[in-house]
Amino acid sequence: MADEVREDLKYTETHEWVEVKGKTAIVGITDHAQSELTDIVFAELPEAGKEITKGDELCVVESVKSVSEIYAPISGTIKKVNENLEDTPEIINDDPYDDGWLVEIELSNKDEVDALLDADAYKKLL
Amino acid sequence: MGITSPLHELHEELGATFTEFAGFTMPVQFSSIKDEHLCVRKGVGIFDVSHMSNVWISGKDAAALLSKTTIEDASRFGSGKSQYTALTKEDGTVIDDTIFMHVDDKYMIIPNAGMAEPVTNWLKKQVDAFGFDAQVENVSRDYTIIAVQGPLSQKILQKVTDVDLSKVGFFACTHATIAGKKCILSHTGYTGELGFELQVNPAENAKVIFEELMKVGKEVNIKPIGLGARDTLRLEKCFLLAGNEFEGGRTPLEANLSWAMHWDHDFIGKEALLKQKENGDYQRLTCLQCTGRGIPRHGMKVEHSGKEIGVVSSGSMSPCLKTGIAMAYLDPGVVSLGDTVDIMIRGKSSEAEVVKPPFVKKDWAKTQ
Repeated sequence: MADEVREDLKYTETHEWVEVKGKTAIVGITDHAQSELTDIVFAELPEAGKEITKGDELCVVESVKSVSEIYAPISGTIKKVNENLEDTPEIINDDPYDDGWLVEIELSNKDEVDALLDADAYKKLL
Repeated sequence: MGITSPLHELHEELGATFTEFAGFTMPVQFSSIKDEHLCVRKGVGIFDVSHMSNVWISGKDAAALLSKTTIEDASRFGSGKSQYTALTKEDGTVIDDTIFMHVDDKYMIIPNAGMAEPVTNWLKKQVDAFGFDAQVENVSRDYTIIAVQGPLSQKILQKVTDVDLSKVGFFACTHATIAGKKCILSHTGYTGELGFELQVNPAENAKVIFEELMKVGKEVNIKPIGLGARDTLRLEKCFLLAGNEFEGGRTPLEANLSWAMHWDHDFIGKEALLKQKENGDYQRLTCLQCTGRGIPRHGMKVEHSGKEIGVVSSGSMSPCLKTGIAMAYLDPGVVSLGDTVDIMIRGKSSEAEVVKPPFVKKDWAKTQ
């Protein structure tokens, strides 16, 4: 089954997706990433209020056998984290683009958004 | 790419993803580690474990050689019996753990992946050193090893073999014909479930057996199982993984193998082990079940009251218990059953309780 890539999202080479909504952005991992990671059993999220810089470790996602770092695709302040992942991290597998989102970031540098990949550019990486 | 199993192409057809393990390229999973794990706990799964080694020990002094080099007195086990044991060095540390099978007048041992040569060489060295009349032959590449494991394993295997499996006791071994092909069958495994292991030679026969088992197992949804689930299955039962639990040199006493120690015979390392036992001052492999969030992994530190007391040798999420579980080497006399320790996961501490092995009890599926 081909991995889903949504047209309206921005992407990184490290398989995160970004949905920009004005001054904030929602971040998650792509369908391709979740399928490579397989059964996700744990997500360690940052605390709201934390400042992060593009390229920093944003959070850690673990499958049964592996530990994977997820990198911040953009800089800013963590506004919200997806608390449902605490008890049901497997929703990242089930629904990576909607219920399985990771964090909402308040952007500190909007120009970074332009450097992200669009859907077509991301598809070429897969 | 490492050494591949004779069943590699079959695994590709079955949709396996592969991993490198001790120089071998083996399936890590076919569908999902969690699903495969639960399939073995509740039904039946089939494993290719050809990365494991096969060594024949024969000759008049075969039993004497085995006894001299392991913590078991092999002469206690007649033809048709198997036993789990460990080979130890003079300092008492484990070279490798293995099962030996007494087949007719010979013994087959199953060293771990990548251990065929070191173990063969070690045994040959002892043959010369002690003047045993014994031959040691590494036949790892001749044999393909298939494991059939799970509460329904006997039912499925019985459909294709001439051996009455109800008469093959736990840890017994015998010649068998499966799907018309000869092999050595033992009532053993690495999952803690009812199960059997098959040593098949030549490789073409392994393919026939594997495919036939997949076919007759279809009615109970048999699944091929990768090394990922093999590891979580063994960890839930507190079975040791040589590369993790013996890393850096550990003795059978440290690794909780006192039950496998047979003290009434002379073996390499006995003196050092007796001294360690008397002294008592050694780290012991301890089972920890997480009560906090987070998943313990190999190499993470364990603390108690802010003081480091040991290190995790194996850790994972338990698919049955849905909590983190770990085996860790902990300093003696600090904690006992029921106590809480802290596992340091990426700089944060996560609480875990000292529990009695195994994490997952016998017949777990019946309680579900």
